[in-house]
Parts: sequence; C-alpha cells; structure tokens
Amino acid sequence: MSILKKAKQTYNSIEIPQELGYVVNRAVHENKVHKRESMRTWLKGATATLATTFALFVILLNTNESFAKAMEDVPIIGSIAEVFTVREYKEESEVELIDAKIPAIRNTGNTDLENRINYEISSKINEVLEEAKQRAEEYKNAVLATGGTMEDFIPTQINIDYEITYQDEKLISFVITKSESFASAYQEQYFYNIDIENGKELNLKDVLGANYKEIVDAEVNKQIAERKAQDEENNLYFTPEEGGFSGIDNEYQEFYINEDKKVTIVFQKYDIAPGYMGIQNFVIPNEIII
Amino acid sequence: MAHLAQEVLIEYIKENQEKLYRIAYTYTKNQETALDVVQEAITKSLENINKLRNEEYVKTWFYRILINEAIKATKSDKYFIEYESATNELFSASHENDLVENIDIYTIIQKLNQKLKTVIILRFFENLKIEEIAYITKTNANTVKSRLYKGMEEIKKEIGRRSV
Repeated sequence: MSILKKAKQTYNSIEIPQELGYVVNRAVHENKVHKRESMRTWLKGATATLATTFALFVILLNTNESFAKAMEDVPIIGSIAEVFTVREYKEESEVELIDAKIPAIRNTGNTDLENRINYEISSKINEVLEEAKQRAEEYKNAVLATGGTMEDFIPTQINIDYEITYQDEKLISFVITKSESFASAYQEQYFYNIDIENGKELNLKDVLGANYKEIVDAEVNKQIAERKAQDEENNLYFTPEEGGFSGIDNEYQEFYINEDKKVTIVFQKYDIAPGYMGIQNFVIPNEIII
Repeated sequence: MAHLAQEVLIEYIKENQEKLYRIAYTYTKNQETALDVVQEAITKSLENINKLRNEEYVKTWFYRILINEAIKATKSDKYFIEYESATNELFSASHENDLVENIDIYTIIQKLNQKLKTVIILRFFENLKIEEIAYITKTNANTVKSRLYKGMEEIKKEIGRRSV
C-alpha cells in the first residue's frame, strides 16, 4: 500500500547506533557452539518443505473447476482472436455488492496460450475478489463493533471490469480494473499485452527494443517536466528523493498498447505522485516493433 | 548439521544487522532497548540453533525470535512507552494542519498494537510474503490478511483524525 511509502522512508532512515556492530559481534561470539551434531535434523526439514510445496500446488489446480466449466460452454464463433466476457458475476448481500465481468481470450489458434492466460486471469480475479470480500466483511464487523447498526451500514461495492485498449490480428492489449467503493486506494489494474503469433506476453523490451529503458525514462521525465510546467500548483510529482520517478526498474514495468498502437506506461496512484493526482499515464511516441 | 545451520544463521545476522535493529527499534522506540533486544535475540537463536530445521527458514525463524524479544521488552518497559507516546502526541498536535502526505505515518505505525504493527512492518517495510508472516506470528494467512486490513484501517482513521 503506497500510503506507507513515506513511512517506509522514515523506517529506512532510522539511525543505526555505532555500537550495533559491536553488540552483534559480541553476542555471536559469546554464544557460538563449536561441537558438531548429526546432519539428520537438517535433511528432515528440507523434505517437509518440499512436501508442503506440492500440496499447495495441487490445491490451486483443483479450485478452478467452475472456470473450466464456463470455458466449455462458450461456442466458437468466427475465427478472429478476441477478448470476451467469459463470466459475469453478480452478488448482492447486506455486506457487499459485487459486479464482476471476467475476461478471457479465444480464437487465437494457440490453445496453450489461451489456457495459460485465461487461467492466470481467473486465478487473479478469484484472489482479488476474495480479498475484497474479506475487507468488506471486516468493515461490517468494525461498524458493528463500534456501536453501529446494519442500518448505518453501506454495503461495499466491488467492481471488476476490463477494457480492450488495442487489438489487431497479431496483438491484443487489455486492462482489468478492480475498484472498491469505500476506499479509492483499493483501485487496482492488471495489464495484459499478448503477442498472438508467438504466443507470449509482451514486455517493454519486446515492443520498444533493447533501448527500452532509455526511451521510457527520457520520455517520462520529459512529460513530467511538461506537466509540472503547465500547472505548477497541482502537478506535484514526487522528487526521486521522495520516492518519485527515478527510471523504470525493468522491462516488466506496467503498460498497455493504446488505440494508436503506442505504448502507454502506467504508474498506479501514489507511485510517483500524491494520491489526488490519480493513476499516471505516459504515452511513448516511438513506433512499436512487433 | 547444526554447525552448518549456525554458520548460515551467523552470516544472516551479520549481513542484516541494520535491518534487525530497525525492526527492534520500531517496537522499543528507544536505542538502548533496541540494542538489548537484538543482542537477546542473537543469544536465544544461537542457543536454540538445533531447532532450526531448514536453511530456508533462517530469516523467518530469526524474525519470530526477534519480534518476541521486542514485544517482551516493550512490556517490561511500560512507563517509557507511555511517556514516548505522550510526546509523539504533542509533536503531532502542532502539525494539525498538514496535508495527509505530511503526517508521519511511521509514528502512527509505531503506536499500533503489537499484532497489527508486526504484520504492517513485515509486509510493507520488510516485504515478506503473507505465508512467511503467518509462520512468524504463528497464525494463518487469513489472520495475517485481516490484521493487515485492520492495521491499514487504523492508520487511515488516525490520518483522518489528524488531518481534520
């Protein structure tokens, strides 16, 4: 949660006393054991961990039955790759109102790709919905615990929707947005940029080439400067020292392809600017290379 | 091979001592006590090294010991904590009109109750996974998530209170 960004900076700048190194060394030295023990306990632990990992994997695979069913019910129309609503999910209770449109891709001619992406989307959305529902429940409990009644209580609205930002025979780009009514901090977006021909998800290196970082960093810095110049009072981007933009980390920086087939870099709320400035988009004018 | 485990642990402690100190300090709010906590946690961990079953768990295992020690220290040091919070209160009162962005969220976190504070520090400052936090706090993932949520709500409430 980015509200904590500044707090994290404060945390990371907690002054380290000079004697820490000494205290640590002394404590280590005084308590070090020199005698050898059997190797058995060590190995036993390692096997147990491996077993847990497998169990978790099996559970994950089994929970997605309803999704697999929904996929079967969909008839194949035409043969153009597309993003469509595979499942629409509405739930109304006294605690929450959920309206979720869950997208999937089809007709790409690449079943592996479709399965992988669709599975990923559906797991992501399941997870996000669960978390949101839990928050709604906690919120209700908090209202009741502090002397409120169900009449004072406004159900949390949870919306999940998607938007196709670009599509042609080779490329599909879409954004899934989740929002929760009572806290805009809980708006989140997930980006999918899919190369249909090669059956893979695209990253910035794929679409802008090896110099992707220089291109993006220069363009974002330029546009931040322009926006600042336009409205000095309201466009208060964080400085790099405050945790603002200091270059993208890697090719997996979030982006989508817009209707003009241009890369649009996205920074979530609070990432590089104060919350009131919302999500920040930067269109990169370079032609994409796929 | 407890000997190997010990080497792994010592290396981990030495490499991460500043991090460990910061965690301790967030609980104790006091340099002396934080140093004592780090020292005590090192002693405890080396004494119990045979209970560390797996190298992978060095970090979470040590965090558990460290946090237990930190909480223990703050309990025996109640007078000091209350005095500290009182001064923090005074300090924040003079900044009443600041924007949300300027409210010192770190001090709000310091004042959260131990359970909420622990999950917030580990998740957001130390970037641990929910499962790791569950292991450290001897709870399950759902409890960790609901504590995170509650912690965030407390922080927001406090921000709301301070920015009115």
